[in-house]
Amino acid sequence: MNVRKLTAIALAALITLGAASALADTVPLKVWGSQENQALLGELIEEFKAANPGVEWDISLGVVSEADAQTRYSEDPAAAADIFAFANDQLRTLVTSDSLSEIAGSRLEAVEAANTAGSVESATLDGVLYGFPMTADNGYFMYYDKSVFSEEDVLSLDRMLEVANAAGKKVFMDVSNGWYIASFFLGAGCTLDIGEDGKQICDFNNANGLAAAEAIRKFTADPAFMTGDDSVLQGGMGGSIAAGVSGTWNASAMEDKLGENYAAAPLPSFTCGGELKHMASFIGTKILGVNSLSDYVKEAMQLAEYLTNEASQLKFFEQRALGPTNIVAAANPAVQENIALAALSAQSAWGVSQKNVLNGYWGPAEAFGLEMENKSDADLQGLLDQLASQATQ
Amino acid sequence: MAVKKRDPFYLRLARGFNEYIRMFREGDLWTRLSYLIMGAGSLARGQIAKGLLFLGGEAAFIWFYAGFGWRYLKDFGTLGTNAQLRVWDEADEVFRRIPGDNSMLILLYSVLTLAAILPLVMLWKSNVRAAYKAQKLRESNKSLPGFLADAKTLLDNRFHMTLLSFPMITLALFTALPIVFMVLIAFTNFDKSHQPPGSLFGWVGLANMRNVVFSNPLYARSFGGILGWTFVWAVFATFSNYILGMILALMINKKGIKLKRMWRTIFVTTIAIPQFVSLMLVSKMFTDTGVVNVILQRLHIVSSPIPFLTDANWARFMVVMINIWVGIPYTMLMSTGILMNIPAELYESASIDGATPVQTFISITLPYMLFVTGPYLITTFVGNINNFNVIYLLTAGGPATLDYYQGGKTDLLVTWLYKLTVNEQNYSLASTIGIFIFVIVAALSLTVYNLTGSVKKEDQFS
Repeated sequence: MNVRKLTAIALAALITLGAASALADTVPLKVWGSQENQALLGELIEEFKAANPGVEWDISLGVVSEADAQTRYSEDPAAAADIFAFANDQLRTLVTSDSLSEIAGSRLEAVEAANTAGSVESATLDGVLYGFPMTADNGYFMYYDKSVFSEEDVLSLDRMLEVANAAGKKVFMDVSNGWYIASFFLGAGCTLDIGEDGKQICDFNNANGLAAAEAIRKFTADPAFMTGDDSVLQGGMGGSIAAGVSGTWNASAMEDKLGENYAAAPLPSFTCGGELKHMASFIGTKILGVNSLSDYVKEAMQLAEYLTNEASQLKFFEQRALGPTNIVAAANPAVQENIALAALSAQSAWGVSQKNVLNGYWGPAEAFGLEMENKSDADLQGLLDQLASQATQ
Repeated sequence: MAVKKRDPFYLRLARGFNEYIRMFREGDLWTRLSYLIMGAGSLARGQIAKGLLFLGGEAAFIWFYAGFGWRYLKDFGTLGTNAQLRVWDEADEVFRRIPGDNSMLILLYSVLTLAAILPLVMLWKSNVRAAYKAQKLRESNKSLPGFLADAKTLLDNRFHMTLLSFPMITLALFTALPIVFMVLIAFTNFDKSHQPPGSLFGWVGLANMRNVVFSNPLYARSFGGILGWTFVWAVFATFSNYILGMILALMINKKGIKLKRMWRTIFVTTIAIPQFVSLMLVSKMFTDTGVVNVILQRLHIVSSPIPFLTDANWARFMVVMINIWVGIPYTMLMSTGILMNIPAELYESASIDGATPVQTFISITLPYMLFVTGPYLITTFVGNINNFNVIYLLTAGGPATLDYYQGGKTDLLVTWLYKLTVNEQNYSLASTIGIFIFVIVAALSLTVYNLTGSVKKEDQFS
């Protein structure tokens, strides 16, 4: 044990020496961010360079969306970026492949102090923090048209459908998508968790799940129900669509379409087995992670910390309307007044962390949603059993 | 010259061994030494350049093994046991990684290292033979060929070696080795919970094969279902394009049709647009809120959108139809040339005998076409079994279904394999399916190919 420790320390010292001697040379860092964030990231990187003179920075920026980060990383970890933004549902897979550099020591204290507890938790697995919380907006809620629905109407899904039918309008939700459809199941009291063997636990086939599935069937059968992808919502909002479940990335499009009637609220309640239950939602964050195989871990940490600090997060809010995780930035009046972010933070009371969902869940959940959208008359219990058994493979 | 029937492999191998034992018995000290130290025989008899080449080859091989190959090959049995280590760096307050084993690299480089034995064996054999031959030539007091003379044979009676060596080497490096590597993955548990360098994977024997065939009912059901649809698709996609393309060509070629060139050009324009662009656009057109559904609804032909791509049967129908649209021009172009070659007297005598156009098509055109394009049909069929583009760009395998594991109703084996790899990181399962696809496709195409007219009646063309 001692010998091992000694060698480890010696090795670490050697690496440190190597890194220190390299400091005088160029520090090449590669950053991955989404297409939409490229301009701002580029700007922030220039600021970072200016704020840290004395080092020859050679920072390159690549386009990899937060949703694809894990996939692209696993293609070739050694060639992947030193710093990459990812949605926190990929956290577990990334940790399994030991891809993320842990944040510890004084840096850990700083991150914990600066960011909301929820966002820090979303980047933490088994007590270890694996990245810098970047934005807290990977969730969904309800956009609606104020001229059609009152604030009372949007409290209940049944009421919304009634009003929409009367007005000849549609309520939009992409039910054939595991991310959105979970809203009903999780609201009904079902759970998605990870077992000790690292496998998915999914109890959507219990009595609560069955009640939720019946509610979904009723919802999708309603004439006012409408499904589709983002482009459908963006095209139809204000026209045939009067309310739609989506996230902050659609905020500006919704505002453009609805103008004065633009409003957002937490998801409504739905009738589930005779009871009124509030629809839950996945709530996720975007995290800036540091590649554990980076040759310049320390410098990468430095840059990642800079890109997620208070000033940077405020810029992300101002230019991209992304919700900050930084406590001070989140308390900024401009952030507080943002309609979409306010709805999201109200919905977060029913938020369920997405890091306990493995990749195997999405496919079967989508298939189940599709069955519902296609108004299949198959036995719900049978479908749910299949869903649960597939998700837990 | 009659083709000599070759002996079975093991007999030839045994004879080869005997040959080398005989040469060892008859060999003198230097020849025998060549069995261990390559090039010894050539060096002793003054063929310095040749001897040095042999010796250098052996040295390079030992250097490669000791310096590189052995590091990976020694762990080939376990595919690594130590994952990478974390070390706390107090000064910088970061964890640094001490590289450990990486199962994937061990597997990859072990395959490379094992393959490196092959050139060594070949070099060793030619070294022994050169030593023996030199010894015999010396014993009969003949002069030995110099290095230049040896080298010159490469441009003369061993010219085939010179020509083929480069393609053979690239084929081995870039085709054979990757295939061996990927086949081996099918015998490991390389999946989402075994991702090196964080967590290593190891050998699991035939477990993946058993899972796909029977052990895991879900995998087995998915594989069976998707395989079935793959065949249905391949049959429809191949023959619909083939026959319709041919009919189109016939129609355009028909006497009395005006503006032949214009018609041909119009159909060929679909080729001019890159396939993936047109396919992605078409898939947008057929969504529930796409152009087609909107038009149908505005015209009050349907009241609710037709689930073109979200209903299993519709989606299957649509992919075949859209494939016809993008595929026909190719068959049309190809058929045009062949149709013009069919002797016109056949048609003339048929019309004198009073055959209807359909009879002419079935009795003259189709047999003639099948005879000429039999091998083409097979390659198209195999291409359709693996037709990733059309399926993935149109429906991405959807509509998703709970019947299949992470699959959809229009998924072909190859798109399913893609999903398993990219979304699920289930490389071992994907590799297993890849092996199955290969076996099925190879068996099928070899059998059918040998049954086609163009092979059986090669000499009776027309």
